[in-house]
Amino acid sequence: MLKPVKMSRVVVAGSKDVISPVVEKLHELRLLHIVNYNGSQPQFEMGKPIGKAKEYSEDLIKLRSVTRYLDLNKKTPDKTFSESQILSDMGNLINNVGDDVTATYERITAIDAEVKSKQDQVKALTPLAVLPLPLEAYYGYDSLATFVGTAASAVDADVARVSPVNEIYTGSAKNATFVAVFVPAEKASEVSAVLSEHGFSETSVPRLEGNVDSAIAALEGGIKSLDGEKAPLQKKLVDIKKQYEDEMLATDEYLSMQTQKTEAPLRFAETDNAFVIDGYVPADQFSRLKNELESAAGGKLEVQMIVDKEAEALAEKGEDIPSQMDNPSLVRPYELITRLFAIPEYKEFDPSLLIFIFFPIMFGMILGDIGYGVMTMLVLIMLKKKFRTPGWQQLINVVMIGSVWSIIFGFFYGEIFGPLGLWGRMMGHLPEHEIELAKEAGLYFGEGVFGALGRMGPLGIFPMDRLATNAVLLLIGTSIFIGVIHCSVGSIFGIKTELNYGSKKHAYFERLPVMLFQVFFAIALLGLVMGQSILTYLGIIVVVASVVMLVMGPEGPMSLAHTPSYVSNLISYLRLLAIGLASVGLAYAANQLAFYVIMPMLSGGATDSAEFSMLGIIAGIVILVAVHFINFLLGILSPFMHPLRLHYVEMFTKFYSAHGGGVEYSPFGHVRRFLKA
Amino acid sequence: MAVVADAGTLYGLLAVGAGLATGLAGIGAGVGEQGIGAAVVGVVAEEPGFLGKGLFLMLLPETLIIFGLAVSLILMFAWTPFSAIVTP
Repeated sequence: MLKPVKMSRVVVAGSKDVISPVVEKLHELRLLHIVNYNGSQPQFEMGKPIGKAKEYSEDLIKLRSVTRYLDLNKKTPDKTFSESQILSDMGNLINNVGDDVTATYERITAIDAEVKSKQDQVKALTPLAVLPLPLEAYYGYDSLATFVGTAASAVDADVARVSPVNEIYTGSAKNATFVAVFVPAEKASEVSAVLSEHGFSETSVPRLEGNVDSAIAALEGGIKSLDGEKAPLQKKLVDIKKQYEDEMLATDEYLSMQTQKTEAPLRFAETDNAFVIDGYVPADQFSRLKNELESAAGGKLEVQMIVDKEAEALAEKGEDIPSQMDNPSLVRPYELITRLFAIPEYKEFDPSLLIFIFFPIMFGMILGDIGYGVMTMLVLIMLKKKFRTPGWQQLINVVMIGSVWSIIFGFFYGEIFGPLGLWGRMMGHLPEHEIELAKEAGLYFGEGVFGALGRMGPLGIFPMDRLATNAVLLLIGTSIFIGVIHCSVGSIFGIKTELNYGSKKHAYFERLPVMLFQVFFAIALLGLVMGQSILTYLGIIVVVASVVMLVMGPEGPMSLAHTPSYVSNLISYLRLLAIGLASVGLAYAANQLAFYVIMPMLSGGATDSAEFSMLGIIAGIVILVAVHFINFLLGILSPFMHPLRLHYVEMFTKFYSAHGGGVEYSPFGHVRRFLKA
Repeated sequence: MAVVADAGTLYGLLAVGAGLATGLAGIGAGVGEQGIGAAVVGVVAEEPGFLGKGLFLMLLPETLIIFGLAVSLILMFAWTPFSAIVTP
């Protein structure tokens, strides 16, 4: 559970006659993590693809382009297909349906381009409507130069100055004057210079005929009819998508599998008559792999396990042993958090179980509210139906277990949507004089009760109002305590990991002193707080001893530089209290604002809830919903991020991924989703 | 001339100090995270597998604000030694 699955290094060697059935079998078994042959040995060369590799990849490329036109994405299968069905339909799907889709898609693209050009023409024509000329008057001259466009000021006089022979039409458009200037061709450059002084900017006139308005009308008619043509085409694509979606994805899967199989020998070592496959298989599956492969090859194949010593030598030469995390289904979602950081190396511990233990408790301790917990739960149940990919499902499960803990902590804290709100109404309060007495005695932890059961726990600290001073102090202690446990567990795993890698010095003079330092630093603090000087002295002595051990360790005096960070690691756990306080504070503020400010204010100063006016109640509820909603959003995000950090920074640095992370076990084969087995 | 402060003023000053401790630490953490955040987003855009390590780096300066908070808590709740000085 805490370690990746044990792997065996195997070598499969066989005659080339049986390479196809062997590949077929390997693919079906999905057991062997193939180590690619790197061509390093002169007597072996790299294998060549078998079968119809080229045809399959061509079909796959064609299919992928069609699925792109149809905007098909990965999804959960609605129905599954048998391989023979896919094989018989494939020709039709790729050639007939595919060509149809391609043609339709290309026609839609062409229509879009045409509509765009017509729209541009309309845009260019619209200002021309202010001039009295028909469209054919603007072009087709040999001896005349034409300037059409907008000008900032009147151009007539200046144009007449450089070119006495001219024809000028002016109309006023929205923000500028629109002019059409006709002059003899030889005057063109001078006129152009004059026009630019007037801020002239030219418009290109589309080569059309007739009246401007009717030309625009014709263009718009054209756009309309093109749009009319496009709509059924788009509907056709949608219909095709609906009809063939699953089958196309199934075909994609089939072709991917086939290319995988045909190209597999590229990863093998080959001679003229034989092939050799190197790889890893989970140790308990070795005999199954051996039997299945040997029966598939009819005796022309040998499967051998390499003894541990030789395998270790290979690993030391840089061959990555793949690791497969092995956890019970309840813990499996937490592999997501592990994987986000790094895949455990083969000899390392898989921290998923630790995350499963600590993460939800931390999440619950921070959020700690029955109302928010139940709301998170409901939202997650809704999301769980919507987002069905494995990644999302894992994430949702992670938070869901956290929200169960936040409901549990909600009972300890006496919070339903903030402290002193709904809880008091449902479960009751302490009487006023008892609150006073408790405050007097310095034992005030809150005023809520567990209904008829009253207050519970040692000194009656539950339900604990997190905003009360005593509760804050208690939670500071609890946070540090959790921190010490968390870090110590990390350190213990660190010691064991170092021993697994065979470096005793690192284990006993680097990992162990850190643990001693942190535990006894906390004990010294505890002694100070409780006034037990024996504890303080004991703590200080061991802390000093651990620092000495560190200096004697592999890093030498340099390791002194790390010691402040061991203290800061512990202080970092204060966030378990701090983030929680922030969210309680906001919830408390929302409740106060609604019940003690807005509602009385809008009810003419009435303080009794029975006298609140309708307006006051509605405004108060709006405030409550808005603030609690914001708090709820923040309330999911930060209780997730901060424990994540506590794991990544404070805990993982003590034992995990110090050797750079591992390689995930990915056996040769394909998970069938759309295809029947 | 001796500065005379009553307990109320001193407590008020302590509260201001506590606020400053958390607030300034927050600003510091924010400034630190700004650069890291930008860099991490850049890396993750190129290589999504670095998300976890990126998050790890991004969350490192968060501890600063917790230090500020720890100082605030000490100021607010370790009030007794100060009150002993002030009360005649």
